[in-house]
Amino acid sequence: MSDPETIEIIEACRRGDREAFRALYEAHKDKVYSIALYFFHGDPAAASDATQQVFLKLITNIKSFRGDSEFSTWLHRLVVNTCLDGSRKSKSRERSEDPVDLVRIVDPTSQDEDMARRQVASRVQAALSSLPPKLRMPILLRYFEELSYAEMAETLQCSAGTVASRLNQGHKLLAQKLERLRR
Amino acid sequence: MNQPKDKPPIGPTEPGDLPLVKAPDSIWMSIEATLDAKPEPRRIGMFRWQWVAASLAVIGVLAWYAMRPKAPAWRVSTLEGSPSVTKIKVGDWLQTDASSRARITVGDIGTVDVEPNTRVRLVAASPTEHRLTLARGEISATVSAPPRLFLVDTPASTAVDLGCAYKIKTDESGDGVLRVTSGWVSLEWKGRESLVPAGADCRTRSRTGPGTPYFADAPKALQEALAAFDFRGGGPDALGTVLNQARVRDTLTLWHLLSRVDPADRVRVFNRMVDLVPLPSGVSREKALQLDPATLKSWREELAWKW
Repeated sequence: MSDPETIEIIEACRRGDREAFRALYEAHKDKVYSIALYFFHGDPAAASDATQQVFLKLITNIKSFRGDSEFSTWLHRLVVNTCLDGSRKSKSRERSEDPVDLVRIVDPTSQDEDMARRQVASRVQAALSSLPPKLRMPILLRYFEELSYAEMAETLQCSAGTVASRLNQGHKLLAQKLERLRR
Repeated sequence: MNQPKDKPPIGPTEPGDLPLVKAPDSIWMSIEATLDAKPEPRRIGMFRWQWVAASLAVIGVLAWYAMRPKAPAWRVSTLEGSPSVTKIKVGDWLQTDASSRARITVGDIGTVDVEPNTRVRLVAASPTEHRLTLARGEISATVSAPPRLFLVDTPASTAVDLGCAYKIKTDESGDGVLRVTSGWVSLEWKGRESLVPAGADCRTRSRTGPGTPYFADAPKALQEALAAFDFRGGGPDALGTVLNQARVRDTLTLWHLLSRVDPADRVRVFNRMVDLVPLPSGVSREKALQLDPATLKSWREELAWKW
């Protein structure tokens, strides 16, 4: 089950309490946005659109959330489905566009600071962008949400074995691409 | 979920390699604007409760005769022109003329926009089934509900909502097309099923039912050959064009064709699919060619990542 504070907020949301919606949004918005942003190759418009859709779906359907599963699992599933829907709709764009430089979006004012950190982030972002969606999404869920195998399996609606295999494959490819980018 | 967390390794990245990005403020503003566009239930202050309760009691008595069990009704609002009704209950028809558009509020699960020259009927409005008949014309449905709760019957198909947004158009004979803009729709008719994801279309024809789904950005030659194969007896020639033109994401189309072609052509479809996307582990050639349902399902789930 979800923690008592989350349950209380969800109950308030069910009653249509706008402040509770806002609290829920504030608690999760940055992670949802970051996952969408890295999933959509650093495209802020696509990430904003996906984040908005996720929370609108959440607000619209919160009355039907019965608490059978954890709230976080439900939210993650909404994020995954929304990103995959968005990816399907913009398939051709996804394949042809170069990744946007996320580092500038993350920290546009600190161009002279911490150059090494930003270079690493750029490399990881570029390597991540080149992975197929089915390998990219588990890596993002693991990275930002620190999900377990079981939680990821529930979110992605596949077996824990499949999650392990995709993560393993994704990590190997990521390591190879990062190695190439470092040269 | 209080079991020990079987956390996977973080991989070649380190914490901080992918910085958390702050969501722009404009997102919440857009969400609020969308919420404000929907009427919120009015809140009633506590000090008014006694008056409200007394009034309700009086209204309740007066309304008792009039409140014999009635079929639930869905609200109809005008988008353009003057549609024929302002609400629709089970058994009622709603008809728009050439200059009218209407919006049906489907219980509390979504909306259906009814385009000009359209005729729809509310067939069921129960907690387990929300069902419309589209006799002719075009509707756009946006539904947030558990799968298979919202259904639309046309003369040659039933569109089963799997959590999605879509448009469906038909003429009186059943010739029409479905376009899915979000999520998935299952188009079903007499044991035939087409699973249509966002970005894909599926035609319907009278007496045949749903055709094979295809992505709206698929090559024109593929789309035309598919129509010939599905509805005009195009046979192996049309199938050949479909196979030649197919791209990776058109495995959506090929996956459906696998169980619709003659056994002699099945290997051609299978081979082309494997050319485009290698067969995933756990899916055997033999079982796929035998149309083993579990094998086809797990293959589809793997392919769906490319769609």
